[in-house]
Amino acid sequence: MRRGCSVLMLEQEGTSVINKGKECTAFPENRLLRSLNFQGEDISDSIVAVAFMRRRVFRRDMLQPVGSAVSRRFSTICSPLPLPHRREVHLWYIKPEEINDSSSQLKHYMDLLSPCEKAAVSSLTGHRLQKYAILARTLARTTLSRYYDGIVDPGSIKFRKGLHGKPEIMRQDGDNITKPPIQFNLSHTSSLIACAVALETPIGIDVEENKRKTAKNVLSIARRYFTISEVEYLAAITCPDFQQKEFIRLWTLKEAYVKAIGRGFSGAPFKNFTIKMGSDKRAPKIHIEAGSDCEGLTDNCQFALMELNKSHVVAICMERDQEISGNQNNLLRLKVWRTIPFIEDELVSGMETLNYICGLT
Amino acid sequence: MASVSATFVSFGCSFNQTKCITAGKNCTISLGMRNRTLTAVRFPRLRVSCSAKPETVTKVMEIVKKQLALNDDVPLKPESKFSELGADSLDTVEIVMIMEEEFGITVEEDNSQSITTVQEAAELIDKLVAAKPDQPASESEQKSEAIS
Repeated sequence: MRRGCSVLMLEQEGTSVINKGKECTAFPENRLLRSLNFQGEDISDSIVAVAFMRRRVFRRDMLQPVGSAVSRRFSTICSPLPLPHRREVHLWYIKPEEINDSSSQLKHYMDLLSPCEKAAVSSLTGHRLQKYAILARTLARTTLSRYYDGIVDPGSIKFRKGLHGKPEIMRQDGDNITKPPIQFNLSHTSSLIACAVALETPIGIDVEENKRKTAKNVLSIARRYFTISEVEYLAAITCPDFQQKEFIRLWTLKEAYVKAIGRGFSGAPFKNFTIKMGSDKRAPKIHIEAGSDCEGLTDNCQFALMELNKSHVVAICMERDQEISGNQNNLLRLKVWRTIPFIEDELVSGMETLNYICGLT
Repeated sequence: MASVSATFVSFGCSFNQTKCITAGKNCTISLGMRNRTLTAVRFPRLRVSCSAKPETVTKVMEIVKKQLALNDDVPLKPESKFSELGADSLDTVEIVMIMEEEFGITVEEDNSQSITTVQEAAELIDKLVAAKPDQPASESEQKSEAIS
């Protein structure tokens, strides 16, 4: 059974249509469609397959209505969106289990990738890793194309590596992209692939299973890789489960920071900076340790932490916008979408799915 | 892309274990004492690269396999990059710490950042183990274990 509908193009006869191009929450009709059995095997696969090849919107009469008089119209472009505001982060994520391993969807996503990306996928060991890599690149490309009013074909976006290897969009001569530069960052872990988008300011994201266990004791890892203050913070936690949780949260915050500044784990050793955990009223703060290794590390950034679907922790770090002054406790705004590229977008909200831990408003 | 380090080829005959190491999707190379020769080498080219001891490489592979929970069918080669095997930074850190424990060494910060493949890890381990003051006795112990 497959579910496939673009929320933005969903129509039910007799009722008004959801506005195209506008954000919308998951409507009850969406859930109804998910429970319907589709005729034939992988019907949405064949629709997606043709859509990818022809790249045009289907007319309603090309589809058989299923069950009650509910009809669907699929789009092959990603729903365009307005840019994030300053200090706003847009987060898009994919749950890999929602995409069938053997479906033609993956093959069509692969078609979006550049030759370099395809080669990188092939070099990975095992189908699962390859699937995650394909989905990660697809997520980046389709997400970014949304912010260019759907003019830009996801497959045509060119990427390059920054000074220390951080992926960024390469703007080409002759681009009619006049909008401000968009910053993005990808992260993936077991059962989640996420892409964070911000306007102009560098951004980093790290996701992790909130119950991730480590082979080594977390305090021993912390002593080896964290700063003294961070070790003291963790050591003071008496409950082992909470200590494990806080370690993972601290790790993701630090990882988000090194990704935001574009250096990655190898370019900015964790011992060079301390992150002080926040609370529901206070964002996490960073302090750069003294020492020559720490040159070039900025403390002008803000952090946010949240729990997604009660299963994953998401840490975001954004370099602070120079044009906006404010105290260090300014919080980030966040919008989150779950997506199956070209098939379904769902604006996510509510405590069941999103649990803000700190740094967010 | 299929290639194998020359070390594995040359150590094949003295390598006592009958492990079958799958190296690449379409090619397998069996090293072992079955007939004292290499079987079914179908690689287009061989690359001389690894200077680490085979037992070190094997041990590193075991650590990596366990840490990343790799199935037996996942091809693990000396040149395998940790990132290509699905290791994130936390995995890499744990692999380094486990290696330190197993081999009784300390990996410096800048060294640990530069380990990206099984091979590089094994070479660094051998270098650090050789630099330890009580090395000669332990090295010959390892050799005799390998040969027996």
